[in-house]
Amino acid sequence: MAVSAVHLESDAFLVCMNHALSTEKEEVMGLCIGEVDTNRIVHIHSVIILRRSDKRKDRVEISPEQLSSAATESYRLAEMTGRPMRVVGWYHSHPHITVWPSHVDVRTQAMYQMMDQGFVGLIFSCFIEDKNTKTGRVLYTCFQSVHLNKIKIEIPIHVIPHEAIGKVCLESAVELPRILCQEEQDTYRKIHRWVASEAQGSIQFVFTKNLCSQMSAVSGPLLQWLEDRLEQNKQNIIELQLEKERLTQELATM
Amino acid sequence: MAASISGYTFSSVCYHSANSNSDHEGFLLGEVRQEETVSISDTQISSAELLQVVEVHNHEPCAQLFSFYDYTGKVNHEILNRILKDRQKNVIGWYRFRRNTQQQMTFREQIIHKQLTQLLGVPDLVFLLFSFISTANNSTHALEYVLFRPNRSRYNQRVTLCIPNLGTTSQQEYKVSSVPNTSLNYAKVIKEHGAEFFDKDGVMKDIRTIFQVYGALQDRVQAVCGEVEQSERVKEKLQEEVNKLKQQIALRKQKSTEAERRLQEAQNPEQRPTREENSEPLETSLLSRVVFHTPSTPERPGPSANPPSYADLLSLQDDSLLPSLSSPTSAALLPRPQAVGSPGHPSPSPLGLGLSAGTSPAPSPSTPYLGNGDGSSSDSLDRQAAGQEDDDDDDDNDDDEDSSEYENLVSEVAQLPPITASVLAQGRPAALSPDGDASVRGSQTS
Repeated sequence: MAVSAVHLESDAFLVCMNHALSTEKEEVMGLCIGEVDTNRIVHIHSVIILRRSDKRKDRVEISPEQLSSAATESYRLAEMTGRPMRVVGWYHSHPHITVWPSHVDVRTQAMYQMMDQGFVGLIFSCFIEDKNTKTGRVLYTCFQSVHLNKIKIEIPIHVIPHEAIGKVCLESAVELPRILCQEEQDTYRKIHRWVASEAQGSIQFVFTKNLCSQMSAVSGPLLQWLEDRLEQNKQNIIELQLEKERLTQELATM
Repeated sequence: MAASISGYTFSSVCYHSANSNSDHEGFLLGEVRQEETVSISDTQISSAELLQVVEVHNHEPCAQLFSFYDYTGKVNHEILNRILKDRQKNVIGWYRFRRNTQQQMTFREQIIHKQLTQLLGVPDLVFLLFSFISTANNSTHALEYVLFRPNRSRYNQRVTLCIPNLGTTSQQEYKVSSVPNTSLNYAKVIKEHGAEFFDKDGVMKDIRTIFQVYGALQDRVQAVCGEVEQSERVKEKLQEEVNKLKQQIALRKQKSTEAERRLQEAQNPEQRPTREENSEPLETSLLSRVVFHTPSTPERPGPSANPPSYADLLSLQDDSLLPSLSSPTSAALLPRPQAVGSPGHPSPSPLGLGLSAGTSPAPSPSTPYLGNGDGSSSDSLDRQAAGQEDDDDDDDNDDDEDSSEYENLVSEVAQLPPITASVLAQGRPAALSPDGDASVRGSQTS
């Protein structure tokens, strides 16, 4: 039975956007963790950023190890919130590409739905620009597959406001630099066996350079955003305390 | 002019916008640099062009609309200073997020922009407009953004905003095979001097250093993340307490007004009973406003409110599963599908043209949706002139979130199929729908 709607918490939406906007050269992907209620509405509370084990274009598949570590994450979230959480869907990005799922995406989604009928797929399309109107665009959509026909059906998706960013979402967001570094190390390890000893230096240079770019393009801005958010929160806390005192006084005089 | 914004700042603006029920606005902080590009052409030896580069570092969201300006669009300098404090020197622009509206500056925004330019002393203040639009079934949503330079001439007012990312910072590929080389001299020289780079394990010393830097950076990220998380929890708790206090105050007020009313009735028993009936709904509506209309708590219908409409929607989907599945119908609902690149739809469908047919006689075929661009055609100019009032009204409607916006829908709801009507009535009205573009008409056309 198809899902009736998806409610994506805005802090999970924030992490998805961060992830999708992190690179325009390849598609990124992750898993959505949450729960499904009795009205067949999927609530997504958090997301996990995944490593792309196979970086072929337009092929997004999740390895069994990643699925199991995602399950561990969901147990953690379940413990924190006191509600049963599990992997309820997956998301990936379409940089410079239309937001509609490709045939491969629909087939992959159909495969996941064989394990879990309520599994949903989200796609974030970014880095789109209309040259005529100089308009940039970021789109997101939600879909499922209809088993036999392998055609997609559209699922309504709403971003639910969540004023404060949850702990799990923050932790997922700061995982990105670590995941990028691990991917780089994996690529390096695979390569350096095949390289002659004289050329070892050059590939090690490349590794160093790539790590530097990751730090400047991802870790740096991430740190800046965290610092700014901290400042904003401190400011808001001061204002809220003042308002609380004012309201307490008002209540006392009533 | 070129402009850039980091992905994290951009997502943060999207996050704040998603959290707000109404329009959302704020200031853009950053810096403007001058870059010189030297080009050599046949006519000149070298010509240096000055390119202004706008870098957005951070955004300062405004907690509410009308925080530094009033309904006539007059900016209050004192309040502006209070909001910005010492960050005033870093302001390079401001932004606004709107739902289901045209991608043009409204009249009020233009007025405010002029005043901000003067008050902040930034001659080339920029304005970033975010507009949000959804398909009728709410499955696909688009966030469009345009950066304006309103202080420049009428033309070239739009600037491309780029989001630099890992893909643009040239990650190098690992090359396994290089130019074949069996020179013994080469191998000898490399071996002799290469020892300086490598340590005893054959690993470059640089790699160890870079790992240290990376490790230190990641530790710092984790530490700041921990602090942010703590501050989020403190903020959340305070917000809850403030909300509770507001509710308690509202309850007390309700009780006291009821007590007053009873006292008045007891004193004046010959009052007509209709007075009660009139005041009752007024009070309840007042109460509902007081109790529930707190700007900080989002007023979204909970999941329990949604099921009937989604069930209807689903039954509709099940019934008409085959025709509605593939892209054609849904692509036609998306704004400017051609620009976005939906599969195989080079020309707009009759539905797409139908959207704007009611307003202007001949819209350009590439933009079936309203919002021609920077007002280069007379049609859109007329629309803009006529639509100014409506835009203001639309702003007001968004801010107060009263029912007048829905009144537009209610009158046209009768024409729509029942499913879309119930979906429209629920939360935010859908921007586009196959037959009746109620909300689009209401907000954009006169």
